[in-house]
Amino acid sequence: MTKDFAVPPVVFPPTGGSSGGANVQQRRFSAIPFQQPPPSSSSQIPFLSFNMGSAAASSATHAGPFGGTIASSSSFGGGGGSPSFEDEEPLLDELGIHPDQIWKKTRSILNPFRINQTVHKDSDLSGPIFLYLALCLFQLLAGKIQFGVILGWIVVSSIFLYVVFNMLAGRNGNLNLHTCTSLVGYCLLPVVVLSAVSLFVPQGAGPVKYVLAGVFVLWSTRACSTLVVSLADGGEEHRGLIAYACFLIYTLFSLLVIF
Amino acid sequence: MYNNMGPQPGMPRPPGNPQPGPFGNPFTGAGSGFIRGGLGAYGERILGSSSEYVQSNISRYFSDPQYYFQVNDQYVRNKLKVVLFPFLHRGHWTRISEPVGGRLSYKPPIYDINAPDLYIPFMAFGTYVVLAGLSLGLNGKFTPEALNWLFVKGLVGWFLQVMLLKVTLLSLGSGEAPLLDIVAYGGYAFAGLCLAGFSKIMWGYSYYALMPWTCLCTGIFLVKTMKRVLFAEVRSYDSSKHHYLLLFLALVQFPLLIWLGNISVNWLF
Repeated sequence: MTKDFAVPPVVFPPTGGSSGGANVQQRRFSAIPFQQPPPSSSSQIPFLSFNMGSAAASSATHAGPFGGTIASSSSFGGGGGSPSFEDEEPLLDELGIHPDQIWKKTRSILNPFRINQTVHKDSDLSGPIFLYLALCLFQLLAGKIQFGVILGWIVVSSIFLYVVFNMLAGRNGNLNLHTCTSLVGYCLLPVVVLSAVSLFVPQGAGPVKYVLAGVFVLWSTRACSTLVVSLADGGEEHRGLIAYACFLIYTLFSLLVIF
Repeated sequence: MYNNMGPQPGMPRPPGNPQPGPFGNPFTGAGSGFIRGGLGAYGERILGSSSEYVQSNISRYFSDPQYYFQVNDQYVRNKLKVVLFPFLHRGHWTRISEPVGGRLSYKPPIYDINAPDLYIPFMAFGTYVVLAGLSLGLNGKFTPEALNWLFVKGLVGWFLQVMLLKVTLLSLGSGEAPLLDIVAYGGYAFAGLCLAGFSKIMWGYSYYALMPWTCLCTGIFLVKTMKRVLFAEVRSYDSSKHHYLLLFLALVQFPLLIWLGNISVNWLF
């Protein structure tokens, strides 16, 4: 029985950089069954194209609308050559982790007396994940395996703060859960420092540990309540009430560290 | 014991079918944005198409939670004073009501010290859990699982308190007070428990003096509050049955709060 459609021939590109562009193009054309060759004018609406770097840009101008996706799919399709590897986004960007942003936000909390609020305007969860792993690491060094416990408590306490803030703020409260979790996570930094410091405190010094924990918990509370009130509407006249909720959350974490 | 019987002059009886819940309906009031946002994309579809019957029934049992969080610092301070030292409260205990849209409803907590709120019960519960963890740790018995069990124990205690109040209301023939009101009244006991727990951490023996004090104060607070609630809710007024039930309410506080205040790793004692 004859085939109804012509199977396009598969051409593997040679491992050269210069001819890579043309071969990608050729594979691009050959990899699309049923498609007419895309029109040469690039004035069509590029509904599937996205910027993948300079290597892709030069070949994308020839391609038209389907070029972007096919070029990226060709990179894992045929064990692709070097231009398709360069076409990819950097891994961290693709994952959404921006180390400089994380470092800026972390540094803004390190100063206990003045907290820069504009840095925290766009929330991300990758910084809190790093801080969570750091806290678990220090707890592990102290002999306590509490990975699940800390994660569970972070989730529960961010939901708690979200509910309390939105209920108190009333009609115009607009804290969303992503921002709330991001803030609770970043303000865990003093607790991480506390757990690192308490590794070096000698065993019998009870009151020293409590005083130290008190100082760090107050630092955390101040950071968190300032950030929450400044980043979401409706919380200004309830600062004290929200600060008490944050205080409860961070005291809970400090209990894990002290005992 | 109670010598000011008879109808109070200042408190108008709510007409007919009392819905003494706050103004607004949980689906269109201020809390609705929160509920809809919480339910995500399905919120509009689920809540928007519910029938009037369902809405009115749900709103009768689960009144708008936004009402209970309209608090400020001053209210919280004064209410804590009322809960912890109820005999020092010189004013009256009735809630101020105002006619809103043809129905009678109560003023929110900012304007009325006698209105229940949910902020203090939640915070008192959280403080109770934290203080319990602290006292476990000071005795060397702290583990995160023990703290989780204490959290559950506190929830069970709160639930028992709410059941007690609800059964008291039901046995007098009317269970129509909003559920969140009862939850709020039940949660005020945790404020006294926190005081007792804190004193236990500070100096061990003061706990044995403060615990009966807490039970007594919570009992008095609940009795005075429930007396007003009963008066507003129940149609017939049978004074002796009321008195016995209120006395029972106060006496049951003792074992309940002692059980909750005894912080240890296992459930019973």
